[in-house]
Amino acid sequence: MNIENSKAQLRKGILEFCVLALLKEEEAYPSDLLQSLKDAELIVVEGTLYPLLNRLKNSGLLTYRWEESKSGPPRKYYSLTETGKTFYNELATSWVELRNAVDKVIKENQSTKET
Amino acid sequence: MKKTVQVNLSGQVFTIDDDAYDLLSVYLQKISRLYERSAGKDEILSDIESRIAELLLERVSDDRSVVTIKDVQEVTEIMGNPEQFEEDTMEEETAGSGYSSREYQGQKRLFRDPDSPMIGGVCSGIGYYFGIDPLWIRLAFAIALIFFGTGVLFYILLWIIIPEAKTTADKLAMRGEPVNIGSIGKSVEDELNNLGQRFSKGGQQFTSGAGTTISRGIDKFFNFMAELFRGFFYSPR
Repeated sequence: MNIENSKAQLRKGILEFCVLALLKEEEAYPSDLLQSLKDAELIVVEGTLYPLLNRLKNSGLLTYRWEESKSGPPRKYYSLTETGKTFYNELATSWVELRNAVDKVIKENQSTKET
Repeated sequence: MKKTVQVNLSGQVFTIDDDAYDLLSVYLQKISRLYERSAGKDEILSDIESRIAELLLERVSDDRSVVTIKDVQEVTEIMGNPEQFEEDTMEEETAGSGYSSREYQGQKRLFRDPDSPMIGGVCSGIGYYFGIDPLWIRLAFAIALIFFGTGVLFYILLWIIIPEAKTTADKLAMRGEPVNIGSIGKSVEDELNNLGQRFSKGGQQFTSGAGTTISRGIDKFFNFMAELFRGFFYSPR
C-alpha cells in the first residue's frame, strides 16, 4: 500500500463535495477555487479542476456567467444551480454522518486499547 | 538568437519562443487527445487554455515580453501532467458517479489470445482487433494454405511477431475495453465464472460471491487455478 496513493483516494472522493461547498455561498471563478483547494491541500495539479467543473456543469449542478477581466482573459464565474444546492445539502448531511461515524470508530478503538 | 512566434490564448496575444511554442502545443495536444471522446472536450480545453494564459501573463512584463521555454515548463508543472488528471476522472467514474457524460474507450491493441486458441491464438487475436469472428480469419488462413501453401509460414511469422496477451490489462486492450479498476475487476470476475462453468458440478460454490467478498490473495489463487484448468479443459470458441 502506497500512502500517497491512499491519501489521493481519500481526497478525490471529497473534491466534488468541496467544490460545491465553496460555491454554495458565493460565485467564484476557477482561479479562486484553485487557491482555496490548494491551500487546503485538496488538489495537487490545477488541471484536475477543469474536467471536474465541466462534469458538474454538464450534469446541471453548476452554471456560469462570463465576466470581462482587466488583467487577462474573460473569466467564468461559477455558481450552484437549484439542483446543485439540493445536491450539496444531501452530500453535506451524509458528510456529517460519515464524519461522526468515522470519529466514533477511531475513538472506540482508542478507548478499548487504553483500558 | 531565437525565432519567436505569436500565439493567441483565450484572446490574449503572446510572443513566444519557437521551442516554448513547441512544448506548449505538445502539451495542449496531449490534453486534447485525452478528451477526444468527451462531450466537453472543447470547453475543457478552452478553460485550460484560459488558465494557462493567466499564468503566462503573470510571468511576462513590459521588460520581458517574450514567453520562454522556462515559463512554459513552470506553467505545465502547475497545471500537471494530463495523465494525472485523467487518472482522477477515471477513478471517480468507476466509483460510480452516474451523472458523468464522458465516455472513456480503451485503445485497441493486437495481441495473441491465450484464452481461445486453435494453435497459437493468432486468428482469435486478429478477430478481436477487427471485431469479427475468428472463424473467418481461420478460414482465410486455411484457404491460403491449400491454394498457395504460404499460410503456414505467414501464421508462424505472426505467431512470433504478435505478443501474447498475458496480463488482464493486455486482454482488455486486446478486446478494446478501457483498462481501469472496474474493468479489471469485471474481467477477473468473468474468468472466475468461466472457471466455475468448467468445474460444472463441484465448482459452483467457488463462484458464488466471487469478486465481491473474497480478498485479493484468494483472487490470485483462483486465477492460478483457472490458468491450470484451462490447460485441460479449454474449448475453442
